[in-house]
Amino acid sequence: MLADYGYIALLLIAAITVPALILLLAKVVAYKSKRPDPDNVKSSTYECGMQTIGSSWVQFNFRYYFYALLFVIFDIETVFLYPWAVYFRQLKFFGFIEMLIFILILVVGLVYAWRKGVMEWK
Amino acid sequence: MNFWLLSPELSLVGIALTVILLDLFIQQKKVLAAISVFGLIIPIAFTIALWGENQASFSGMLVVDNFSLFFKFLILGITSLVILSSMDYARKFARFQGEYYALILLSAGGLMLMGSTGELISIYIALELASISLYALVSFLKDPKSSEAGLKYMILGAISSAVLLLGMAFVFGITGTTHLDQIADKVGALVSGGQLWDSPALLFGIVLLIAGFGFKIASVPFQMWVPDVYEGAPTPITAFLSVASKAAGIAVILRVFYTAFGIAEISADWAMIFAVLGAISMTIGNVVAIAQSNIKRMLGYSSIAHAGFLMVGLAAIGTLGQSGVLFFLAGYALANLGAFIAIIAISNKIGSDEIADYSGMARRSPVISFALAFSLISLIGIPPAVGFMAKFFIFNAAIQQDLLWLVLIAALNSVISAYYYLRVVKVMYVNEPTSEEPIPSSIPLRISLAIASIGVLVLGVYPWLVLRLAENAVAMFP
Repeated sequence: MLADYGYIALLLIAAITVPALILLLAKVVAYKSKRPDPDNVKSSTYECGMQTIGSSWVQFNFRYYFYALLFVIFDIETVFLYPWAVYFRQLKFFGFIEMLIFILILVVGLVYAWRKGVMEWK
Repeated sequence: MNFWLLSPELSLVGIALTVILLDLFIQQKKVLAAISVFGLIIPIAFTIALWGENQASFSGMLVVDNFSLFFKFLILGITSLVILSSMDYARKFARFQGEYYALILLSAGGLMLMGSTGELISIYIALELASISLYALVSFLKDPKSSEAGLKYMILGAISSAVLLLGMAFVFGITGTTHLDQIADKVGALVSGGQLWDSPALLFGIVLLIAGFGFKIASVPFQMWVPDVYEGAPTPITAFLSVASKAAGIAVILRVFYTAFGIAEISADWAMIFAVLGAISMTIGNVVAIAQSNIKRMLGYSSIAHAGFLMVGLAAIGTLGQSGVLFFLAGYALANLGAFIAIIAISNKIGSDEIADYSGMARRSPVISFALAFSLISLIGIPPAVGFMAKFFIFNAAIQQDLLWLVLIAALNSVISAYYYLRVVKVMYVNEPTSEEPIPSSIPLRISLAIASIGVLVLGVYPWLVLRLAENAVAMFP
């Protein structure tokens, strides 16, 4: 049993050395420009070719957070619906009722969010 | 898969969901409290109907026996008293009253599951279900103190969960299973092979488990959060934390240590850990409580001290110690709830938790003051209150196990504790009142206070009523 932990130790060693090696390699191999960078363009944030405005440490509207939470509800629902759909015939009526109850619980979450006005962008 | 065995928890979660849904459409929030309290009758009825059952289901993850049912009944009883006494207090929350009741019910569901699992992972999940609801409840007042309490509780709770999980990982690493009975087989094989302490990882895992569970029951040295969280949290939640959370923690400790590590070669070791931690817990709790001026903070330190008394029962290996711990929990729950319910009523009127502001309370409100005094007397352990019988059974169990030194420390501590409990009684009965206004209280609060106080008296006179149940409950331990 304890010997099995040896593999984890090996993985740990590999996980530390490989990224360190790659970083080191980049330092050695990469070509460094000696020319100046007057407009700070070269060291600025790259965002799909668009001009970046301000720093990335801005405050986001907290409503995004609610949408993220709601997304998690549906995400989990999908994760469980796929295997359920594959085994639908074997699970018979019991599986059908079970999944209905599961969806019902998630719907409670959705109704709650809806009534609390999460969907409205005021 | 047997859903009948899971019926108390399922119905409890059903009630919580109903409360959340109705909260969206009902303006009169008192209805929600009524639904929560009357709804609790359903899981209580299921628990009573299941009594005597002895089965494991869901591949050993759910164990229903008298032991788990005893704790389910205890936690449901505590929850109903807490909700009854919350109705006056909940007016302080302008918003989210429905969520308040629903979160209490969900947390109670987690606490109930904690006592009825035979497997480490489900213990962890049940513990998280209970804790995450409690983190939100502790910071429900949204004032600076309450928020600070919630943040402290959450951060320290997360650390203790991590420690607990690491302990479970070590135990799993040595034994290769998370099922408690299979761990016991594996440990038994290690003992008979004479290679128990070849690798110290198992001992390390056990110590980490004690650390993780010690946080839940507020024992030294994992008690740092207790005073601040107890003071900042809404008073009904402080009451819930101090009794329900502790009861579930003790349930898990009893089940894990007696089922998985019950073999004599190891139990002598963990019993000594509990004995030493218990002695330190009650001494620190009682001595520091003397210096407190805030009554919620004082009861926080008293809760640390009572964790120490409970650990005396844990250190006394055997049936007497087990049933003594269960009886002690029931008595402590009634007395502590009685004290906190009285504090809710008084602080609603005077808006303060300072002991000095309680002066002359006996003349302003004789009934509530008497109930508070009687609960405090029970916490000291003076007959005819239940606290005396509870301590008697635990000390008796410890003496049978040759733990005389521990009982001497515990008895000394009971004497120390009399000082600070009786100081509150003195302030209420001897000092001059600052005003003549009586303390108002609602009917639900009076009912819950009456149940707690009468329970303290009845169990103090007829302890057999619960002791028989406790003996039945621990009969399943080998």
